[in-house]
Amino acid sequence: MSIDITVTVGGAAGQGLQTVGDLLARVCHRAGLYLMAINDFESRIRGGNNFFQIRISDAPVNAPRQPVDLLVALDRRSIREHRPRLSDRGLIMADAGSSNKGEKGEMEGVFTLPIRDLAKEAGGAITANTVAAGACLAILGAPWDLVRETVEDFFSGKSRKVIDQNIAAAEKGHEAGRSVKFQGAFQWPDGRERKGRLLTGADAAALGALAADCRIAAFYPMSPATPILVSLASHIDRFPLVLEQAEDEIAAVNMTMGAAFAGVRAFTATSGGGFALMTEGLGLAGITETPIVIVNAQRPGPATGLPTRTGQADLPFCIHSPQDDSPRFILAPGTVEDVFNTMVRAFDLAWKYQAPAIVLVDQYLCDSMFIALGEMTVPESIPIYTITDADMPDPSAYQRYAFTESGISPMALPCAGQALVKVCGNEHRVDGHITEDATLRRRMVEKRQSKIPAMRGEMRPPSAHHPDAETLLVGWGSTIGPLREAVDMLRSDGMDAGCAHFTDLWPFPAEAAERVLKKAGRRIMVEGNATAQLGALIREQTGIVADGTVLKYDGRPFFPREIADAVLEQTR
Amino acid sequence: MTDVELYHNDYENKWCPGCGNFGILEAMKDALAGLDIPPSKALIVSGIGQAGKTPHFLKCNFFHGLHGRALPVATGAKMANNDMTVLVNTGDGDCYGEGGNHFLAAVRRNVDITALVHNNKVYGLTKGQASPTSDMGMTTKVQGKGVILSPFDGPSVALSLGAGFVARGFAGRMDHLSGLIQAAIRYSGFALIDIFQPCVSFNRRNTWQSYNESVYELTEENHDPADLDAAFKLCRQGDEKIPIGIFYQKETVSFSDRIEVLREGPLVSRTFAPARVQNLLNTY
Repeated sequence: MSIDITVTVGGAAGQGLQTVGDLLARVCHRAGLYLMAINDFESRIRGGNNFFQIRISDAPVNAPRQPVDLLVALDRRSIREHRPRLSDRGLIMADAGSSNKGEKGEMEGVFTLPIRDLAKEAGGAITANTVAAGACLAILGAPWDLVRETVEDFFSGKSRKVIDQNIAAAEKGHEAGRSVKFQGAFQWPDGRERKGRLLTGADAAALGALAADCRIAAFYPMSPATPILVSLASHIDRFPLVLEQAEDEIAAVNMTMGAAFAGVRAFTATSGGGFALMTEGLGLAGITETPIVIVNAQRPGPATGLPTRTGQADLPFCIHSPQDDSPRFILAPGTVEDVFNTMVRAFDLAWKYQAPAIVLVDQYLCDSMFIALGEMTVPESIPIYTITDADMPDPSAYQRYAFTESGISPMALPCAGQALVKVCGNEHRVDGHITEDATLRRRMVEKRQSKIPAMRGEMRPPSAHHPDAETLLVGWGSTIGPLREAVDMLRSDGMDAGCAHFTDLWPFPAEAAERVLKKAGRRIMVEGNATAQLGALIREQTGIVADGTVLKYDGRPFFPREIADAVLEQTR
Repeated sequence: MTDVELYHNDYENKWCPGCGNFGILEAMKDALAGLDIPPSKALIVSGIGQAGKTPHFLKCNFFHGLHGRALPVATGAKMANNDMTVLVNTGDGDCYGEGGNHFLAAVRRNVDITALVHNNKVYGLTKGQASPTSDMGMTTKVQGKGVILSPFDGPSVALSLGAGFVARGFAGRMDHLSGLIQAAIRYSGFALIDIFQPCVSFNRRNTWQSYNESVYELTEENHDPADLDAAFKLCRQGDEKIPIGIFYQKETVSFSDRIEVLREGPLVSRTFAPARVQNLLNTY
């Protein structure tokens, strides 16, 4: 890795950081570089301090770094906020227009460019973001024709006038930026060979749903799940797809269930607080054996918590809610490829076993951009797990909850033939009618629970990086990138470290987990919650007790260096 | 016409003898038979309460879900397959209390479903507490000093939200109610029938006798269903004279017809196009 540059673009909400960030990422992607980028923002539409931080490299990168090499400050506050993180070679670029007030010494060492003035020259103050992006890219050494192509492409949906204004803005920025000497500037690759796909976790979840033949999504807006629906909405004209904004999360999960009952693959997406409202519906899906998919994009809680920030603290909540027992799948993908493929799997497993499937992601994964290099497989066909009259000897005798060896009853669809489909959230007889009979109740509970061994059989073991290491870091979900990089850091520091990462969490693959975990001399849980929730689950399911923890619950993503340092501290 | 016997089933009925629900049940069977909708073509969605049990007592496809949540389930099912005839059996507590938000949204969404609100002005299944439609002053074991909340009137709320089909029925006028249900099923859009129904076990105020003395049927002579102001007035007539019939009806564009992709056929019968997903994926 000869290039490893972190650029932070800071400003107030409403200043258009997203445009600068998207442009930087696309230029790098077009050039054939690798990148990953995080979005750090407050729960407000205007003001405050938000930042977009992109890490650019000539080798794959899957985690953010803390030190900032180039800070593009669209406001004064960003200089104050991020200067402490500046690396040795760090440079701050700010708008000259923002330099005439503020604390003494604040502008020391800050390189100023007349961003707003240049934007006005280019055709309007609104293009200031494009000027800033152009300047930033010039400082990094990006050639102008690459920037121009990307800007043209990025604004291609807009009018010619808007496109030309933005090209002019980028060019003015680029010209101004070329005069800035930056130690981190690098030789950009000549080719235009894109490495992998550039997308966010939210994009991957939306695409995965489409690849799973999902045709209905019902949702109530909630950060950080909303970007999944926004991404899906941008594809609506290409697919037989209905997106419905429900009146609340309770309606969203019940609509999803109604759709699945009628034979259409459907999902909903929410965050912890919305999931809390959906738990009643989760129970209904459990007892009615209706295949639904719920994406829980986690953020710190409880209650409103930190609305726009990240966390991994809903695992026991998803395993245990609502009241009583009912089988479900819980999958927590780690990378964008994994998000896509997991969505396809979640739908398949839900329909195969007629049980709800919960996909756990988080704000970090949803809002960050990654380069996906791995396979994202669109299935050639979708298995049909439902039956029709033609599959029944006597459709008039159809029983939705017939006892079978697998516990899975053949599922017919309402109004599709002569078979009547009767579904009930009360405990029911095989034909779907209410019962309070003690024997039947016992048998129905056992029927639903009897699906679990086969469901567990579908669970994949944790993936491992240096599986034979003495010290094993153990995590789940979105931390796989930081975990692996932390392991590489520890190994270069001389420690025999490795990591195990769980995507498949429920039904817990206990035997596979035990095989991977018991080999290590020391196991350290690395989790985005305060109590090592996976650690507790592993202890419950295998008896293995972790030897240490690295826990983060401040709402911010994990940085590999901080994991490595915490591990070194504990094992010294 | 389909034989009404086809809708009978042998599942034991669990309502109290003399319950108003029996009238609603028979009117539903009569209406479905009259419209030639066989059991296999009807989907009935219900919530919780005595009304929620209704689909167990006739032959049909059904989804008997959670308290207050019948309308969202029905909406999802109708989105998936808009060829189905979807009815909802719900009660005053289910629809206007626990499911109040869903009721408001269902009217605005104008999904083509028929909502039958069994309105007995009391909570029957939980043994006699006040419901959202209970008269002020009605005493119960919980509301010992009488109900102090003003009653919720579903029809006028629906009218205020722009509903295109609002009617009131009475469980004691089975033929009349069957006619209302048929008109509601034929209506393209959300159709509300708020059905007065005596609870013989827990409501001593709104009885068979009081309803029989006060209900009167709307006719072409005494009401124009296109007149919204008149419809509002009908909602607010006192207990002495209770109008039953279609309060208001206007043509609307239903939810399904507002969504382009649903006009091309039900979602459930569309085919999966992996190449289209692959092409989209390749744009990233």
